[in-house]
Amino acid sequence: MIRKLQNIRKYIRHHRLMWILFLLAAALVLPLVLTNNYHLGIATRILMYMILASAVNVMNGYSGQFAIGHAGFLCVGAYTAAILMTRAGLNFFLVLPLAGMVTALFGLLVSFPIGKLSGIYLGFVTLGFSEIVRIVCLNWTPVTGGPMGIKAIQGPSLFGFSLQSPKGYYYIIFVMLVLMVFCTAKILKSRTGRAWISIRENEAAAASLGIHTARYKTMNIMYATFWEGCAGAFMATYYHFVDSSMFVTDESFNILSMAIVGGMGTLAGPIVGAVVINIITEAFRFLSEYRMVIYALLIIAMMWLRPQGIAGSSDSVLVSSKAGKGRKRRRTGRPKPVQAEAAPIKEG
Amino acid sequence: MAYLVEQLINGVCQGAIYALFAIGYTIIVGVVGLVSFTYGEVIMLGAFAALYTATLSGGNIFLTIVMSFLASGVTGIVIHKVCYEHFFEAARYISLICTIGMSMLVKNLVQIFCGSETKPMPAMIRSGGIRLGSYQVTYVQIAVILVVVVLCTILSVFLNRTRQGIILRAVSQDRKAAGMVGIDVNRATLLGNVIGCGIGGVAGMLYALYYGSLSASMGGMATMKAFSSSVLGGLVDTPASAAGGLLIGILENFGVALFASSFRDMIAFVFLIIVLIFFPKGLRISGRRRGK
Repeated sequence: MIRKLQNIRKYIRHHRLMWILFLLAAALVLPLVLTNNYHLGIATRILMYMILASAVNVMNGYSGQFAIGHAGFLCVGAYTAAILMTRAGLNFFLVLPLAGMVTALFGLLVSFPIGKLSGIYLGFVTLGFSEIVRIVCLNWTPVTGGPMGIKAIQGPSLFGFSLQSPKGYYYIIFVMLVLMVFCTAKILKSRTGRAWISIRENEAAAASLGIHTARYKTMNIMYATFWEGCAGAFMATYYHFVDSSMFVTDESFNILSMAIVGGMGTLAGPIVGAVVINIITEAFRFLSEYRMVIYALLIIAMMWLRPQGIAGSSDSVLVSSKAGKGRKRRRTGRPKPVQAEAAPIKEG
Repeated sequence: MAYLVEQLINGVCQGAIYALFAIGYTIIVGVVGLVSFTYGEVIMLGAFAALYTATLSGGNIFLTIVMSFLASGVTGIVIHKVCYEHFFEAARYISLICTIGMSMLVKNLVQIFCGSETKPMPAMIRSGGIRLGSYQVTYVQIAVILVVVVLCTILSVFLNRTRQGIILRAVSQDRKAAGMVGIDVNRATLLGNVIGCGIGGVAGMLYALYYGSLSASMGGMATMKAFSSSVLGGLVDTPASAAGGLLIGILENFGVALFASSFRDMIAFVFLIIVLIFFPKGLRISGRRRGK
């Protein structure tokens, strides 16, 4: 099965542009084919999680800052958008970048304590941040509505046209996703992206080559959290309602496992992961409470069978703890170039 | 003032439970070298084992402690087999994700088979307490502190005086060197995992006893408390981690006295972040350098 997967990957890689255009076209006509609003809602949610998983991937997969508490940033974005839209009555398309920027500022704030940390400490600090944000939202009743949350958030409208329909939401999040993946791909090919990847591979070596690692790590966090905030803003207007229970630790794990099941360190990985996980959890909805058991088993099985994820390459640095000492490398005898891991981007 | 002293007594008692969380956690992290997210679920299982044993045995406290230890220890074996054994050579995040999956699995299975509502814990110790001047210390508090102190003493003797304990410490200091001098590292890791998880189980039982209630979703918070406490000891120094637990317990109760009680769970996280900013490597109380 794994070899078959590799063949598919190779095929897709050789016909990249065609596949991308095909997928874009398919995604564009999907709302016209899917007449059932329930299914369209699932598709919209999948696209939203694609953005979230891609943002997780930018932070965890490309710069190697293994943050866990991503729901906290989502929470900041969603509450910012909800407050601005209900209190100040601002338009959604104005609120969207604002929510992203506010979340990026929180990312900057978090980057101070985690700048010098690595590995699991970084993960737990972000998790702690996420819980702190959630508890503040739960208890700061005058601003966040406390346990009641914020209700009746208006839908998006552009130049007087209301986009408050399943199709409208779908196209908004679709445009956001395309924009996000496009920007990320561009950045990864630039000096900044190469700096992120080199920090992940070996921070000391990157610093010795003159990369200002602290600055690039902060940039990375702010970029990722910007998109998480945007997704949060969309979430607020899509559900018309925010509540602190939407941002519990399980949600962080949920987003993280999408990025991991898909394959971190690749652009396609989180997108594949979001599709697979959402479809599996929707398909097993009839099992009600056993659904989460299956989800948990899937994650464990994935780590046993294919820890680099569905779209990840088999010699990924993310799989072996000692980059450069892995079995594959020893056999070939020569070090791989830094960008080898990010293969799909290199050939773009 | 009297109120603050009362809060201090409550804090010490609660902190003793957190210290036990932290001790189990540092033993696991020490021998395994990898961080666990399943620990909170292990604590929760210990509490559930205590609930059923207490109900069936009519409140026999010694039997309850033993059963909590055993239930969590057996879970420790399963966790070792599923999450650690194959991933020592792999990147750290793989076993981390495995423990996240395992924690979801355990939590949901317990929710399915035992119910997801908050359950009352039968009172095994009579209510009331001893008056010390104008303050009252309840029997439950005394029992909790007594169990923690006895357990810590046994553990200290085990780790410092017995062969197995010394093996555990050797593996905790340096896996490779321990393997070179002929220690079965894998077996030692398994043993450390069982002991750490067992201690977590007893701590879970004490937690349920102290609050008089338990639920299947208590694990997430317990993991965070255990981790936050252990960070003061750099995740490997057991006495410093226990001190961290004690400190968090006391700070939480003072925090509740000063702010609202709904902010209680935030204190551990603030503590975590402050410790990581000022002592990112943790404190070393035991005086030995532990290279990691």
